[in-house]
Amino acid sequence: MSFCLDTYLQQSDNYEIHASKAGFKDCAMIIRFKSEEIVYIKPGDQVLGVRVIGIPPIPIGFDNKKGTVFLPYTKPCHGTSVIELPIGAEEVEKIKKLDTGSKK
Amino acid sequence: MKALILLGCPETPSQTPMAVYAFSKLTKLGYDVTIAANPAASKLVRVSDPEDYYNLNIVDLERTLGEVNEGDYDLLVGFVHKDAAAAFFVTFDQILNTKSIALVFERDIDLVGEFVEMIEESGSEAKICAVRAFHNPSPIKINFDKALKELE
Repeated sequence: MSFCLDTYLQQSDNYEIHASKAGFKDCAMIIRFKSEEIVYIKPGDQVLGVRVIGIPPIPIGFDNKKGTVFLPYTKPCHGTSVIELPIGAEEVEKIKKLDTGSKK
Repeated sequence: MKALILLGCPETPSQTPMAVYAFSKLTKLGYDVTIAANPAASKLVRVSDPEDYYNLNIVDLERTLGEVNEGDYDLLVGFVHKDAAAAFFVTFDQILNTKSIALVFERDIDLVGEFVEMIEESGSEAKICAVRAFHNPSPIKINFDKALKELE
């Protein structure tokens, strides 16, 4: 069975929230600030089993030493959050393949 | 022809009557209409039609986001009254890559401008109807009617 982010966030406490109930642009800025490596993806691209919501180019960040990913997570009533969670090398490669090459 | 109406957070009073209005209008124009909403917004719309007069077709917003593909709908109509609603609209707009109308409204005119900017920055070709509104749906309704006429 493939990884599902929604289920992971409900069932695991091994993640960190760096911003919550924020605007998308603020969350994108936090991801750019906190990450040592960033790729930019399109809205609707799948990361960890869910389609990422946002305004393009959407930054997805990596902390390669910790082996974690930073991503925006948007809910209609709760705005956007920045979530950092552990990620495997295979998933990192999948995300890097989505890179649009945008810089912002 | 198929149309998808996206509802945002149900906190704004104008959204529910406008959702029923848009459903009815688009149905009369010949669209097979689906409303995608979160559970709270869905409940408000369902209760507004107790006799099932409109035969509302309501689906879960996040499930729809996971399943939808380019070509599934011929028209997207989104209620954009929060930052998250703008992000959802832009995401559906990019996936569907079809004609779209963004109904942008807020009681704070600066926020209306901010949401419009978010949609424009995304490169969307959506028809944007932006008005200052909260309790009163009339300004949204007038702009929606105008946008539909332009589509015809």
